[in-house]
Amino acid sequence: MKKILSLLTFSSSLLTICEAQQTLPVNGTHDIRHSCYAFTHANIFEDYNTALTNATLLVKDGQVIDIGVGVAIPSDAVIYDCHGKTIYPSFIDLFSSYGMQPLKPQPRTGAPQMKSATAGAFGWNQAVKSQTDAEQLFHCSPADAPSYRAIGFGAALSSQHDGIVQGAYTLVTFADTVDNEAILAGKAAAGYSFSKGISTQDYPSSLMGSIGLIRQTYLDAEWYKNAKHKTEVNLSLEAFNQLQSLPQLFIVNDKLSALRADKIAREFKVKYIIKGGGDEYQLLDEIKNTGRDFIIPLNFPDKPDVQDPYDAGMVDLSSLLNWELAPLNPGALEKAGVNFALTADGLKDKSAFLANLRKAVKYGLSTSGALKALTYNPAAMMGMQGEIGSLKKGMLADFIITSGDIFKQGTCIYSNWIKGCPYQVNDTTNSDMRGTYALTVDNIAYTLLIGGDVNTQTATVVDDKKHNIPGFFHLANPMLTISFRPFGDTLHPIRLNGLISADNKTINGTGTNGLKQIQWKANLTTAYTDTTPETPLHIPSLNEVRYPFSAYGRTKSELDSIQKASKEVVIRNATVWTGEKDSVLLNTDVYLKDGVISAVGKNLSVAKDATVIDGTGKYLTAGIIDEHSHIAVTDGVNEGAEACSAEVRIGDALNSEDICIYRSLAGGVVACQVLHGSANPIGGQSGIIKLRWGMTPEQLKIQYAVPFIKFALGENVKQANWGDVFTVRYPQTRMGVEQFYYDEFTRAKEYEATWNAYAKLAKSKDSPDAPRRDLQLETLAQILDGKRFITCHSYVQSEINMLMHVADSFHFHFNTFTHGLEAYKVADKIAARNIGVSCFSDWWAYKMEVMEAIPYNATICTKMGIVTAINSDDDEMQRRLNQEAAKSVKYGGLGEQQCWRMVTINPAKLLHLDEHTGSIKVGKDADVVLWSGNPLSVYSKAEKTFVDGVCLYDIQNDAAMRTDIASVKASIINQLVSEVKPKAKQVKK
Amino acid sequence: MKKHLIIATSILATLAAIAQQPIPASPKKKSILLYGGTVHTATGKVIENGEIGIRDGKIILVSDQDTSHTSLTTTYSNSQTTQVSTTNSGLTKTEKSEHKKIYSSKEYDTVIDCTGKQIYPGFIDPDCSLGLVESGAVRATTDVADIGALNPELRTLTTYNTDSKITPVVRINGILTAQIAPQGGLISGTSSIMSLDGWNWEDACYKADDGVHMNWPVLYSRVQLNPDQIGGFAPNKNYDKQIQLLQKFFSDAQAYAKQKTHAETNVKFEAMKGVFDGSKPLYIYASFAKEILASVTFAKNFSIPKIVLVGGLDSWMVTDFLKQNNIPVILTRVHSQPAMTDDDIDQPYKTPAILQNAGILFCLENDGDQEENASRNLPFMAGTAITFGLTPEQGLDAITSNTAKILGINNSLGSIEVGKDATLFVSDGDALDMRTNIISLAFIKGKKIQLTSVQTALYHEYMQKYGLK
Repeated sequence: MKKILSLLTFSSSLLTICEAQQTLPVNGTHDIRHSCYAFTHANIFEDYNTALTNATLLVKDGQVIDIGVGVAIPSDAVIYDCHGKTIYPSFIDLFSSYGMQPLKPQPRTGAPQMKSATAGAFGWNQAVKSQTDAEQLFHCSPADAPSYRAIGFGAALSSQHDGIVQGAYTLVTFADTVDNEAILAGKAAAGYSFSKGISTQDYPSSLMGSIGLIRQTYLDAEWYKNAKHKTEVNLSLEAFNQLQSLPQLFIVNDKLSALRADKIAREFKVKYIIKGGGDEYQLLDEIKNTGRDFIIPLNFPDKPDVQDPYDAGMVDLSSLLNWELAPLNPGALEKAGVNFALTADGLKDKSAFLANLRKAVKYGLSTSGALKALTYNPAAMMGMQGEIGSLKKGMLADFIITSGDIFKQGTCIYSNWIKGCPYQVNDTTNSDMRGTYALTVDNIAYTLLIGGDVNTQTATVVDDKKHNIPGFFHLANPMLTISFRPFGDTLHPIRLNGLISADNKTINGTGTNGLKQIQWKANLTTAYTDTTPETPLHIPSLNEVRYPFSAYGRTKSELDSIQKASKEVVIRNATVWTGEKDSVLLNTDVYLKDGVISAVGKNLSVAKDATVIDGTGKYLTAGIIDEHSHIAVTDGVNEGAEACSAEVRIGDALNSEDICIYRSLAGGVVACQVLHGSANPIGGQSGIIKLRWGMTPEQLKIQYAVPFIKFALGENVKQANWGDVFTVRYPQTRMGVEQFYYDEFTRAKEYEATWNAYAKLAKSKDSPDAPRRDLQLETLAQILDGKRFITCHSYVQSEINMLMHVADSFHFHFNTFTHGLEAYKVADKIAARNIGVSCFSDWWAYKMEVMEAIPYNATICTKMGIVTAINSDDDEMQRRLNQEAAKSVKYGGLGEQQCWRMVTINPAKLLHLDEHTGSIKVGKDADVVLWSGNPLSVYSKAEKTFVDGVCLYDIQNDAAMRTDIASVKASIINQLVSEVKPKAKQVKK
Repeated sequence: MKKHLIIATSILATLAAIAQQPIPASPKKKSILLYGGTVHTATGKVIENGEIGIRDGKIILVSDQDTSHTSLTTTYSNSQTTQVSTTNSGLTKTEKSEHKKIYSSKEYDTVIDCTGKQIYPGFIDPDCSLGLVESGAVRATTDVADIGALNPELRTLTTYNTDSKITPVVRINGILTAQIAPQGGLISGTSSIMSLDGWNWEDACYKADDGVHMNWPVLYSRVQLNPDQIGGFAPNKNYDKQIQLLQKFFSDAQAYAKQKTHAETNVKFEAMKGVFDGSKPLYIYASFAKEILASVTFAKNFSIPKIVLVGGLDSWMVTDFLKQNNIPVILTRVHSQPAMTDDDIDQPYKTPAILQNAGILFCLENDGDQEENASRNLPFMAGTAITFGLTPEQGLDAITSNTAKILGINNSLGSIEVGKDATLFVSDGDALDMRTNIISLAFIKGKKIQLTSVQTALYHEYMQKYGLK
């Protein structure tokens, strides 16, 4: 037997060698091998950080038995000379569904499904699949494994990834073996997501619902675990509790959801590894501050289609910028010190993985960082760093052999070894024949050019007339085949077979031109050099990132300069509508300092470096506050599957990147209550925000805001207009709505009493179990305690009256009827209870219950002494609320100041924000708007909108941003269309 | 006799208030003189202190009181004239009319002092569903779209409900005429133009079966790309199929129109005849630039004489094309969000000015959500368009004279000019600004209409209940 083998082409018979399972019966004679394999003269990465030159790797029984320079090679070892080759620990993918059966979604009927369709003693929600065990679903897939092995992966964390709680993931190898051998760790990790997957149950129907469900599940599991006397068997909660000792993975698709997952982790003190969307660079500081480990995809965006000028209009700035900047993501995370692993997930074609990896390296990811993210990090995240991810003594022999530096273009992976078993990726038996040869065929001289990639070598024959003739080329050491058709001679193609000399420099053989046998030879004249010029790469900069990542977002430096200019601002000589008792002040200065209104008066003296704005001929008012808005929410404003969704919080699903925020600023709006929809009698908790465009969702929230919740009445909650199948959910009548409230509040009252009683008990071993924490009842109890306020979607007078009676009977103060379209019919009763009304100016007739809505509602309510606001409930109308307020001049003849209060101080009062904002008064937040004219006029525009003293909308700056958007887009589109990188970087004005 | 009539009228008015629905105006012939107001003629001219004479439903006089009829002031002071006085709700509180010869060459039954007021031609709302939809959510009350893709034969005329509670609410804001258009399918049907007053649709009809409405297939539709994203646009996979359907239909309909006799009568093709002979415009609904280019080219290839673009979201991008082909535009809701995140934030507000500056004939409409009841806000969209670049006169034209031109009714409607129908109204102030659009008096074809509605009735009822003023 030849001692020095080249790397073999392995046949399926080798499979059996790799199957060491002792319980497996053998059909035939046993072929048990304990050979030692020595990989010599290789460049070896012992781990991501340790490169050995001219080193040896010793493998036996699937394990590394030694590694290093000058390692003694046992005399019986099979030796593979790896001269010129590089060995890396094979890669580990923590996000894969390798070996999993595809999910079989059940079609939805369209009718409501309020209960779980999973049979058994499981939890109430079909999307909580803690009992799922990927280990039991795993089956090796010889069809899929090669595509992973070809890009260097040896192991993966696999799951079907279905549901909000996805159960246990399993860590497996990509070996073609029996399933028993392929599993490295049966239950390796637990997975979670915000997507309910194939669950057919209605709840949750929104992102905030998913979050509510996760939070309640954590609470329920804890309660179940601690209960000494279990009142139910709940296999889902049991499984959930068992999952908690595993590494915890949370799957999200974007940066904002990564922050949402982090928030849950903090609340329940769990350590999530977050599988992100690849856009983390867009919010790098916040991502870094989570301190979490991440799993990052390398599926950089496809080239947007911008060839047609009109179609290009459908591609927005954020897509173009993301295409340009996304390859920066891994490098940016590395520099920020984020610990992360890379995954091939999301690539339509896995073979693009190495190209994208190399791109990421060109875009700033260090090669050791890349290797770490592919080997050590994923192993360590699974707690398996002692077994996989490096090539240390005693670890699994999972490694790849490459033609060189894996991060360099053109390098190929020859073979991928899993537990010491080799899988060929590229044919290593063939020589690199590339170069220029003097070719003589039947005494005719040609030049032969062999080029291409080392794995796909190609031949071109050049004749004495310099005709380039493409040839067929096939290499099968030690033979090769070339055929070509001499120029101008279609009848006599030449077909050649030859033997390659040992030094790869000459080829000799025979062939035929169809007429006779001919002799030929080729002698190397010039060795191959890679002459393809490296295209000079335009590496964009993270400075191009906008906050938010959208048109009209601002770069960090722009944000800084706006902040700087906003430290002290004075608006001079304006007509000031204060919204206070003094109402209108002529020729007045207003001083904004450090985010608050510091002075109002004439000829105020100002600091030297204060920004001075001439308000002559202009109007200055408090910013508009919208009591009823649905902007800036991700994935659903309704969690309408259940009649009560008090557990959900709009604040969990805020989208700080909604362009409506900026557009509303341009309409003079500074704050709004982002409300749950009206799909159910008890909706969700409000997000009360300022329109701090450029900040994160958490930063939008007004810190001093008091908690609110949305309720709703009438046709929407009884599903009158939802379609004929929606006759399942209680209540279906207004009668039912009333009793639903009585029931819920009664339960909340009793819930609170139970907890109070429990709190008073002296705790001992024998004390009773703690009551179950219920996020819905807890929220409702806050209402009873006067700590949370209701704004209720309401139309007809009967139901308005009903709800007031419900509140009376539970002795809490009811806060606001939003819409309250027939409030005018019971205005005396509303006024008597000091309840507010927040209505549309003039919407009506679109459904039965609004046939008697009148645009005089606000006027009558105001005249009855009710604190009345005009709201939008509509992103379009939200940016023209000044016009909506003006309609009450027309409908019922309210004074202009009264009208203006309906969109400023009155909504502030209704939202309990009026001590801080809503009017121009010294000490209040500097939330002000400078208008070109009377703010109630259809002919006026907001020119500057300040939030906390920061000018976030400025009509001139807006014009500059438009120019900037157009030029940045043009620049990226030019890159896309011409493929020629621009010479100079885009310089922002 | 006169006295009796007045009393009778006031009783009727009271009854109307109780019934919450105004009674259609009396068909009696009358002559009326409005004087002293600022007349916005919608011909580019504003007449301060103007006067308007009305007889037999037509405008017989439009002039500047100061310059052309200097003797009038004295004459008026000797006659018992009516002072328009209004409540905040825009209702006419008192109005006495007396027969008196007041002008040497003309006689007017009624003379109305409009000093300090603004007079406008009645606004026209094109492409709307007034009278077809009462309450969008109540299926029993909607008759705006039928099944099937190709329905040119459907007529809105005979479905138009003169007793809709919405119409009186809309006209209180100055909208006195509307084109009632069908929706749905690729060819929705045939519209008619209605005066917003009348006992029945025959009464109310201003122009029957005025045009055929075609919805050009969309190239893109809004989609949710993934649960964590707001959404984007995806190509319409059925676009080519839908175009083929239209191509075949138009080819066959055109061939049918050329036949002198038909072996079998096809009501769909019958309804298309007017489109080919130019008696009915083809109203093409298209939004995105490529849809506009494709749809107009499609119609041109069938040699359709009158083409009107409706919607025209991207019309501002293709102004050269529209100008070259002489295509007028009924422009989609000004009070809209820009279609794309990157768009100029005021794009819908300034599109009218772009079209105006490009020399394209356009008017405004209020298509979309709740279009029937929100029609009343049409004037304020013109107001917004003025803020974003139109002159006040151009803004007015966009909801009056331009609309009449595009709908082919400008010989008799759309401006205050001698010979045209006296469809006009008097407002306390600028009718394009919501604060001052307070209308005290309105005429449709010379007949004074009642400016009451369900809403004003409820308002007064409850003001009374609470003792409020």
